[in-house]
Amino acid sequence: MQRVSRLKRELQMLSTEPPPGITCWRPEDLVDELRAQIVGGDGTPYEGGLFTLEIKVPERYPFEPPNIRFLTPIYHPNIDNAGRICHDGLKLPPKGAWRPSLNISTVLTSIQLLMAEPNPDDPLMADISSEFKYNKQLFVENARRWTEKHAVQKNTGSLKSQDHSSSDLKTSRKRDSATSLEKTEKKPEDAKRTCL
Amino acid sequence: MEGSDGSEQSGSDQSESQRRRQLDRLDREEAFYQFVNNLSDEDYRLMRDNNLLGTPGEVTEDELLSRLQQIKDGPEQPNSNPSAETGDATGGSEDSSNGDTLLDWLNTVRRTGNTTRSGHRGNQSWRAVSQTNPNSGDFRFSLEINVNRNLAEQQAAAEGGQETPEAPGAPGEVAAAGVNAAGVNAPGVTAPGVTAPGVTAPAAPPPPVPEAEAEPEPQASPPSPPQRRAQRRARSPSPEPRRTRARTARSRSPLSLERLDGLPHLRHAPRPMPAPVVPAEGSSRTRQHVPSRQSNPEYEAQPPAAEAAPMTEAPSAGPQEGEAGGAEGGAGGRRPPTIMLDLQVRRVRPGEYRQRDSIANRTRSRSQNSNNTFLYESERGGFRRTFSRSERAGVRTYVSTIRIPIRRISDAGLGEATSMALQSMIRQIMTGFGELSYLMDSDSESSDSNRGAGTPAEPTETLNNPEGASVPVSEEPSVRAASAGEARTAERDLEEGLTSGPAGREGGGGGFRARPRPPISMEEPSSLPFLRLAHFFLLNDDDEDQPQGLTKEQIDNLAMRNFGESDALKTCSVCITEYAEGNKLRKLPCSHEYHVHCIDRWLSENSTCPICRRAVLVSANRESVV
Repeated sequence: MQRVSRLKRELQMLSTEPPPGITCWRPEDLVDELRAQIVGGDGTPYEGGLFTLEIKVPERYPFEPPNIRFLTPIYHPNIDNAGRICHDGLKLPPKGAWRPSLNISTVLTSIQLLMAEPNPDDPLMADISSEFKYNKQLFVENARRWTEKHAVQKNTGSLKSQDHSSSDLKTSRKRDSATSLEKTEKKPEDAKRTCL
Repeated sequence: MEGSDGSEQSGSDQSESQRRRQLDRLDREEAFYQFVNNLSDEDYRLMRDNNLLGTPGEVTEDELLSRLQQIKDGPEQPNSNPSAETGDATGGSEDSSNGDTLLDWLNTVRRTGNTTRSGHRGNQSWRAVSQTNPNSGDFRFSLEINVNRNLAEQQAAAEGGQETPEAPGAPGEVAAAGVNAAGVNAPGVTAPGVTAPGVTAPAAPPPPVPEAEAEPEPQASPPSPPQRRAQRRARSPSPEPRRTRARTARSRSPLSLERLDGLPHLRHAPRPMPAPVVPAEGSSRTRQHVPSRQSNPEYEAQPPAAEAAPMTEAPSAGPQEGEAGGAEGGAGGRRPPTIMLDLQVRRVRPGEYRQRDSIANRTRSRSQNSNNTFLYESERGGFRRTFSRSERAGVRTYVSTIRIPIRRISDAGLGEATSMALQSMIRQIMTGFGELSYLMDSDSESSDSNRGAGTPAEPTETLNNPEGASVPVSEEPSVRAASAGEARTAERDLEEGLTSGPAGREGGGGGFRARPRPPISMEEPSSLPFLRLAHFFLLNDDDEDQPQGLTKEQIDNLAMRNFGESDALKTCSVCITEYAEGNKLRKLPCSHEYHVHCIDRWLSENSTCPICRRAVLVSANRESVV
């Protein structure tokens, strides 16, 4: 499959010249899935956090975009509770802007950019979005809190440790607990999602 | 190419086997590129247009080669394949039942336009008519099977036990039962029917059926369909189900898919039928129908109208038919069952959205109006389908509408009948019929129950139905009740189908049929004398606002060249592979280049350059200036 060889090449590139603040690897035993971590950008509410993403590579890749979602909970107007990302590079035209000349690396980079600059006009989480627009202060606080709670590794020293898989598990568990937390925090579920 | 043995970079701990598999793939991939690069333009186009190339690394070079060969001498095959089975069938030419041949057959039909075949076998006579509208690419197929009950009974009685068992297997000739089963299957079960395109199924029921069923599976890949199919399959093998089905068929005797035609047909059918004259009659009857059908081609063009027609007809026709039915009923088992199957595949264009919807809506509202209707809607595997069943004055109408997004199929769409298109059609058809068969099964059950009550053991199922059918349908109330019951069952069945796997289904379904099914105590005059099956396959190009790809012609018009030594090293940004000497490249108007096979695939679904996103076509015009 084209996908296999292409992925192989991409991984090579990712390991030899990874975009700054991004790591990506293939977990054991998973053929068409990758994991990535994005470091929260300085000066953003996500600073200090390490966000794990799951990347599913469809059969028709690269003719179809990779399926990417956050495993680490993140408070962001364009990322919903399930970690799904509203980003046009992740969708096929005409709705989206995916094209085969993009790749995992570029897409991750654009996600990184999206984290730094949310797009409140195309919100996935309406409430967060309006917060971002009209009460930025509050938004920043909330986002920081979430980052603190879910994305900051306690023993920062081994952040980029080699045992990704274990950190993986950790984060996904975290997401579960995060969801339950959210409930208690009464996250409005009826938030309008215009971007799905 | 580099990387074939790839450094496993970071995730180097893949298991050995996985690694090996990947290496194999890479090898094959390389072979693929080589193969593609060595193809002549013609061959390349041929293969691409028929979707034979697959994905790099997916198939071996040998396989590709054999595909090429096949496609090269392919076109003729269909006709030359008169299968053994048909041998007896009188008129018909037949075809076989392999997936490939089926495809070929359909292709031929498409190409040639209209075909009519007929024949008879034993107590059955059949006629298959296929029509293609070259302009729209719409395709229509109708099949009609007349079974002479008497004969069938006799045979059945005689062969009774054996046939059923045989049917599944090879039964060349098959007794009535077998035949029925086959016939029924065709319509009900799906694969066979479809494929059958009449030809096979009807004529040589037994053999074809099994095969036919088998074929579809391989092709089918979509998620939901498989199950169904599997179930079906599972079922058919088992004698029980078959019988039931057979029964059903009979009871329902006339299955007419044709809506408009339906009436005329129905009418004809009954009359001629009384005479046990069997084959001869049957065939003549069929013929009559045919003409009417042909005269109706219009409706293909207007789905809504067509749809409406059937429904409307039902009522109006009802009375007459009812009478006929009654008369026949009087005749008892005399009336030879007629199974009519009508299948339409049409393409819905953007502008037609409304119409298409209206079809569904109409069906829905109609069905809601009458008590005897049952509507089932679902959306599975990405296909939206509406299924309704209505009963009125002795006419039972099944309408199934399935919308198939053909986005990816090809620009040419039906006109070109790419294998993809065909496959998805077939899949759909099969699935659709699967639904029908569920309903039918449930119906059969009810009729069985009747049977059980009224007629003790007849030569088992085969004959039973006919009798059931014969019973006049005058009592509205009872009918209704019955239908309600059936509907329920049907629903249940469907649900089961959805949820349970093949095994479960089989068990469940089989069980029901087997009788455990609480004989819906409706003393219902059993089945209605007329049954219509209308199937719509609406292929819509633009289910979602998906991008439109370029047509093959448009793609072929783009510049192509061979990568030469002198060229600077460059990489195809689709596959991220550096070009090697001899690689065929396509140059888009924006001057971006890619491997031919890489970019063709993208352009078949999209119309912009992967790198700069310029519209390929628009810039094409510009480029002429450049």
